[in-house]
Amino acid sequence: MPHNRLALAAGFAALVLAATACGGAGDNGGGSGGGNAGTPGNTAGFDGTTIKLGVLSPLSGPVAVIGLPLTAGNKVWFDHLNSTGGVAGKYKVELVQEDTQYKPDVTVQQYNKVKSNVVAFTQILGTPSTLAVLPQLKTDKVLAAPASLDALWVREENLLPIGGPYQVQAINAIDYYLTEGGGTKDSKICTMSQDDVYGEAGLAGVAEAAKVNGFTVANQQKFKAGTENYAGQIQALAGAGCQMVFLTATPSDAGKIFGTAAQGRFAPKWYAQSPSYAGALSKSAVAPYMQANVLIVSEGTEWGDTAVAGMKDMVDRATKFAPSQQPDYYFAFGYNQARAMTAVLEKAVAKGNLSRDGILAASKELGTVTFDGLTGDYQYGSVDDRNPPRTSTLFAIDPAKPFGLKTVKYNFTSDAAKAYEFKKAG
Amino acid sequence: MAKPHRNLTRAYAQDLRLFGTPWAKVGLATMILVVVLLPTVLHDDFWLSILVYVGITAVGAIGLNLLTGYCGQISLGHAFFIGAGAYCTAIVGGDLGLPLPLWLLAAAAVGAALGGLIGPFALRLRGNYLAIVTLGLIFVGEHLWRNLKGVTGGNSGTSVAAPPAVGPVDFSRLEIAGEVYSRNQGYFWLVWGLVALIALLAKNLVRTRPGRALQAVRDRDQAAEVIGVRAGRYKIGAFMVSSAIAAVAGALFGSYQQFVSPDEWNLLLSIQYIAIVIVGGLGTIFGSILGAVFVGALPALIDRYSADIPGVRTSVGGEGFISVFALNQAIFGVLIVLFLVLEPRGLAGIWLRVKTYFKAWPFSY
Repeated sequence: MPHNRLALAAGFAALVLAATACGGAGDNGGGSGGGNAGTPGNTAGFDGTTIKLGVLSPLSGPVAVIGLPLTAGNKVWFDHLNSTGGVAGKYKVELVQEDTQYKPDVTVQQYNKVKSNVVAFTQILGTPSTLAVLPQLKTDKVLAAPASLDALWVREENLLPIGGPYQVQAINAIDYYLTEGGGTKDSKICTMSQDDVYGEAGLAGVAEAAKVNGFTVANQQKFKAGTENYAGQIQALAGAGCQMVFLTATPSDAGKIFGTAAQGRFAPKWYAQSPSYAGALSKSAVAPYMQANVLIVSEGTEWGDTAVAGMKDMVDRATKFAPSQQPDYYFAFGYNQARAMTAVLEKAVAKGNLSRDGILAASKELGTVTFDGLTGDYQYGSVDDRNPPRTSTLFAIDPAKPFGLKTVKYNFTSDAAKAYEFKKAG
Repeated sequence: MAKPHRNLTRAYAQDLRLFGTPWAKVGLATMILVVVLLPTVLHDDFWLSILVYVGITAVGAIGLNLLTGYCGQISLGHAFFIGAGAYCTAIVGGDLGLPLPLWLLAAAAVGAALGGLIGPFALRLRGNYLAIVTLGLIFVGEHLWRNLKGVTGGNSGTSVAAPPAVGPVDFSRLEIAGEVYSRNQGYFWLVWGLVALIALLAKNLVRTRPGRALQAVRDRDQAAEVIGVRAGRYKIGAFMVSSAIAAVAGALFGSYQQFVSPDEWNLLLSIQYIAIVIVGGLGTIFGSILGAVFVGALPALIDRYSADIPGVRTSVGGEGFISVFALNQAIFGVLIVLFLVLEPRGLAGIWLRVKTYFKAWPFSY
């Protein structure tokens, strides 16, 4: 009877499973075959010739506009490094890219997929995604470089952040407004932020600036990322007579917000955080309004600015290894991340240990890593002594420039930003 | 005196048997054996974690199938109850540090209570109207999760440190006969054990009096009232049981992922669950599990083997004309359309047809 055959087959399958059962998989870490200084032993993600690094990035979906150039930046730096021989001149670096779709649970799955094949992660994009894998990073003793500027990362030993956090951007922008931007303590300073972790980081910076400079925020508006209609918030800001609005948003929302403000003839001074801008905005219908009223606070310099050594090198390498790459700030961010990770790898190779413990130990012994003016120098070391850059650069919109930004003030800082304390998360 | 053939049912009680044939028992024993032995063979963290997520999804899908498949109440608010369960676990299991059975039961209780609050809406509303009301639940929920900072950690999300442990048995690091089992192996057993338990509970519920009442309400609620089924009570009851099971799924999700944020309990998740029960088969318990396996494991399969599919782009700057994600989305959409058009009873329907074919063999009907 065929019915019996089905069950027999199933039973047989179970028997096969039983026969091949071989027990636990606990306590399998990235063990290290002992190595000597300069020649580390083989370990998870390192086979003696090639070092593999993980990339967990939204390569599809709405956030891919950030994930794709950022990953391209990672890749161009390592292509350049490999062309000079690799880490310590002899170990090539290979990237293992996985798409997270900007979803925390997908990120956790992809992390599980590749964790045993890589020595570290050179990019994990997104605050929610990074927070979702953080518990596992801690238990697995893995080092990862987050691709976001949250202050939370500064004091986490399993994370290797770069750049000045969002709070620093906000403090510096307000300081500039009060000193050179035509504002005073009595000006009506307002905020417009998206209702999530990123928005809260901006608000924390503004709150700190208000405390130091002794003003009160006149009006605070929040919006949900991806909303269609901002008329209510813009009316409220206009009604409160805001003269300066600090904006924490992402490009598509920022474009709609400026559009709504332009239609409503509401023209304060807008200061926006770096992720509020994308190159496409300088070619859109809101470009004239943005040229007149918007400043972007970020780091580094204009794309193609030959006066800054790091920028010149980066543009040269981008044209060599990724000729179709458009000017893009996220690209620069990814490129810088890869440089920080390379510094860790160099250290770990010098110590002769590329195992997970070796990588973590190396990250604690890094001194100050310089990015040749692309972003402020970052002082690494043990987590309690880490000191992120406190500098920012202000840009105005100029469609004639590559990426549509021109420098207003390069690499400045404020006393409030220098004094800002970064505390451990949770 | 020859005995009648076992396929001949001569009493209603025989129709209600859990295991109609000896082979059903063998099949079940085989499935249990596979679940018990699989993690000892498959050590790959990626596949284990996919299967753990699939199991968690199966639990949630059984809950939704009770409500939608058996009682006919459409709900787009399933994600809300899953989120509630996860946050409940963060408090009961994480902050209070209570053991596994307690945080699971606490999540179920919270889910049931919330379901009981929503249930009464179902008394006056049907079909599309009910769908819209439960849709509102998602948005109310999202507002709550973002602003009840004490419970949910607000936008930053919250870590869920609920220990998957009962007394000396710790599922995150099982030690059996000197072998140490990894966290993913332990969770696989925990989650699939619960899938079996909840499937049994649901199966027993639907083959008894309340189950018949639920199906009567689904088919014609006014006619059910006429013959003495208290439709209102059963509708609210179905909401409560369904949300309790959803909250258990949320509890497992939170404790496995160790971190949850308000971005996860969105409309997309609810729609995914509806797709799962449709693809699996409305009004079947086994179908909920099949649907979860199918919808959960398919994207992972495509993702894993995308490099071998011609024309798929797997990395930035790579070759190909469609990204893995776009391919996944397209296949997912096409599958739902195909199932609704060609196989309205879902995967479980296919299974039933195969079974009856063999039962009636060599006759085709």
